[in-house]
Amino acid sequence: MQTLWTQLSSQLESQKKLTNKLIMEMTQQKFRNRFYKLSLYETSGAVICFVFAFIILLNLDKMNAWYLMLCSIVTLLFLVVLPILSLGAIKGMRSLNLAKHSYKETLLRFNKKRKNMLLIQKVAVMLGVVMMWVSIPVFSMIMNNKDFFTIKHDPWLWVFTGAVTIGVILFSRYGYRGYKKVTASAENVLKDLEDHSDY
Amino acid sequence: MSKEETFTRIIRDNEGIIYKITRIYAGNREDQNDLYQEIVFQLWKSFDSFRGDAKISTWMYRISLNTALFHSKRAKKRGFNVSLEKVVLQHENYDPVLEERLQMLYDQIRILNDIDKGIILLFLEGKKHDEIASITGFSKSNIGTRIGRIKEKIRKQILK
Repeated sequence: MQTLWTQLSSQLESQKKLTNKLIMEMTQQKFRNRFYKLSLYETSGAVICFVFAFIILLNLDKMNAWYLMLCSIVTLLFLVVLPILSLGAIKGMRSLNLAKHSYKETLLRFNKKRKNMLLIQKVAVMLGVVMMWVSIPVFSMIMNNKDFFTIKHDPWLWVFTGAVTIGVILFSRYGYRGYKKVTASAENVLKDLEDHSDY
Repeated sequence: MSKEETFTRIIRDNEGIIYKITRIYAGNREDQNDLYQEIVFQLWKSFDSFRGDAKISTWMYRISLNTALFHSKRAKKRGFNVSLEKVVLQHENYDPVLEERLQMLYDQIRILNDIDKGIILLFLEGKKHDEIASITGFSKSNIGTRIGRIKEKIRKQILK
């Protein structure tokens, strides 16, 4: 293994290819790392959530029943709190100083922050289906001025809503499993660091 | 010598380090290119804080490994990139046998966890345990134990 590696190293030594121009071009690159793109998506999503939250706030006076008011408040909390937590978690990840800490310290900090971010994502996925149902009466009142709980519904509405719910649940399960896998990976690293910290 | 000239000289003298790290932490050419650029970017970003109180290679390894850890990814990403395809990563001129053996070695190292990847890379680079400890932050005895386990793990993986 060592011999092979040494052969690789000497081959690389004889093949230096970078030019000064290329190197300096690389130092100018911005906005290309994955956390920037993640921030962009999350920020866009947050803006959409805040817009809807604002619409609900403007129409709170229409919620003339306690259950509609409750649904509005819960929906508002979901639309405001979760995006803020999510953006905060990403900001925490991006703020890691890669030059300051050792590899071990970076591993620790990175995986702790990653776990935190993943927890928020998992909660969002789990609550997504619930929030879909909680927000329906709110937007029914805002858009049509109708109390969802008291009006007569077309049976096809239930079929459609049921189908959408199943789709959202399946998608959420898929997303949740993905997050769970990455969380497990982060936890394994943290556990490994913890188990071997004494020697 | 200007800051840019010093930096480019350092990168050119040590481009092999960055290349080897990208091969271990990224699974395909595209991700390797992206990671390569990200490492150079991070090195440039922290260049002002490098005071020369550590060896250049120690400084480079630390930042490169941290960057690889942070930015290595499973999913693809897009973005504007400097094209490196014709410069560094494709024209290795290795003989096919050597290339195949290297590919097997890279594959074995790539499936190790993040902790073991960093340590075994430094070990293969010929670093002594105390230097590996200094770069990684692990204790010297921890390094020794881990290297033994990693070698055994790789040996078992190859024999499978």
